[in-house]
Amino acid sequence: MIELKQIEKSYRRGAEEVRALRGVDLSVTAGELLAIIGPSGAGKTTLLHILGCLDQPTKGEVLYDGMSTSHMPESELVQLRREKIGFVFQQFYLIPGLSVFDNIALPLLFSKKPASRSKIMALAEMVGLEHRLDHAPAQLSGGEMQRTAIARGLVNDPEILLADEPTGNLDSENSDKIYTLLRSLSQNGLATVMITHNTELAARAQRTVQIRDGLVHSR
Amino acid sequence: MSGYLKLAGKNLLRHRTRSALTMLGIAASVGVLFSVLSFNKGFTEGLAVELERTGLHFMVVPSGCAHEVAALVLHGAVIPKFLDTKVMEHVIDTAGIDLATPILVAQLPDPQRGKIDLIYGVDMSVLLAIKPGWEIIGKIPEQDNEILLGYEVAQHEKLQPGDQFSSGAGTTLLVAGIVGLTGSQDDAFVYLPINTAQKLLDHPSAATAIGVKVTDPTRMVEITDALTAAVPGIQIVTMGEVMNSISNLAASARALSLAIVLIAILISAVGVMNSILMAVFERTQEIGMMRAVGASRRDIFRIILEETTILSLSGGLVGILISILGSRMIEAFVRAVMPFVPSGNLISFDPGVAAGSVLFIFIIGLCAGIYPALKASKINPVEAIKG
Repeated sequence: MIELKQIEKSYRRGAEEVRALRGVDLSVTAGELLAIIGPSGAGKTTLLHILGCLDQPTKGEVLYDGMSTSHMPESELVQLRREKIGFVFQQFYLIPGLSVFDNIALPLLFSKKPASRSKIMALAEMVGLEHRLDHAPAQLSGGEMQRTAIARGLVNDPEILLADEPTGNLDSENSDKIYTLLRSLSQNGLATVMITHNTELAARAQRTVQIRDGLVHSR
Repeated sequence: MSGYLKLAGKNLLRHRTRSALTMLGIAASVGVLFSVLSFNKGFTEGLAVELERTGLHFMVVPSGCAHEVAALVLHGAVIPKFLDTKVMEHVIDTAGIDLATPILVAQLPDPQRGKIDLIYGVDMSVLLAIKPGWEIIGKIPEQDNEILLGYEVAQHEKLQPGDQFSSGAGTTLLVAGIVGLTGSQDDAFVYLPINTAQKLLDHPSAATAIGVKVTDPTRMVEITDALTAAVPGIQIVTMGEVMNSISNLAASARALSLAIVLIAILISAVGVMNSILMAVFERTQEIGMMRAVGASRRDIFRIILEETTILSLSGGLVGILISILGSRMIEAFVRAVMPFVPSGNLISFDPGVAAGSVLFIFIIGLCAGIYPALKASKINPVEAIKG
């Protein structure tokens, strides 16, 4: 479904040139739960951003269903993110002024789709938040916030969910709940890529990839 | 409500105090803008009504300043020059004159009461022709010793028709009637037959002006030219000139006020820009998240611009409301500081002026929002999410 070919990514940090990725080959297939592990600064998040078409590689090629994104204009990349990709972040990034319902529905605003109550309710039930839809993010626990963010990532029916340390701010009980949720999503056919520092969770993933110094070391 | 508008509104509500203060800044500017524009309209309309009420087409006065004449016509100013009433003969002899009446306006000190009376001598037979809007309680004076009191004078001296009024010159006069409240400077005068006024002032043939009404107003230029040629040392001021003279004074004040208002609006626009820019910087990560979940640069631009739109429009509407509610206070202030103010409502609510003021601040608000919106739309989502 997604294929990365010889991906390199460099950027400048002051006078220094940082080579974040140095020729990464990786493919993700539908229904797969892939864990990416590695030390801080290894290039995990850069890889995730390139997978999610938020960032473009300096060299190499990203293929979505066989179609290269290298020369896609910004408008097509936006369309791709809207239709095929869901994002989940460690810090949740829920909008404080909006209810759980409106936070989940937010991506529908950008994809110009109606925020159907039944759809949001179904997602909320799936992540166990059906009783919290009218609550503000400040009234939720960390686990609930992340589950809201996952529901938001799923609202556009993406083909792939990219999660950047989704359990990084959670205790072990909530981490386990989030992992179980991601696992069930992949079992239902959603490709899920999860960056994690939690080796125990990574070991339970279908496949684990280790990134070190911008290179994939194991797969 | 569109999703963008709802999102923009919710964003503003996250910092209620900041948003409210920014909005109040706009409200204050729009309120003042609306008041200045409405004041000008109300003033001009009031002035036209006031001149219409005089029932005269022009005034013959001693040569001098047109502003003095305007003040005389509208609120009976005291001009330290007199016309000889013999000029009246020339005026009456001029073709096309319907009515001509001498007017003598002067101050009459009364050492006993420690006051100065403002007296207005006029031919009582033509009084209602030159003051057609007046309501009189009692009757118009018919004898030389009878007078008419302005509403305020009667109230202050606690006098009724039939009471005695002692003048500063030691003469006792009889109150024949009282002028109903006009809300103008007319309320402050003592009106008496011109002969009596001339005697009290010891100027037996003096007049401050001669008020003239012509039979055919289209022939006014011809008539005034003939009069000026026939009588040396006089000046003729038409009501149109009086209106222009006062309007010019008001226009100068208005230009200055508008300049100050525009500066206030500029300051409030900078306030909007600053407030929205702060919000953009604070929400950088959130904007990065929105880009990641499918927002285009245009979507981000739109959300930020709608925030400024809400602030500007709500500020504009609140400003108009405050201005309408406070119009009586503003009027009282203007009446206290301006030398001539026509009676009636100075600040009249005009939907067109209100809509224009709101539209103006809406456009200014949009302009102020463009830079923060552009800045937000150019945020790099990768950098933003990294924090």
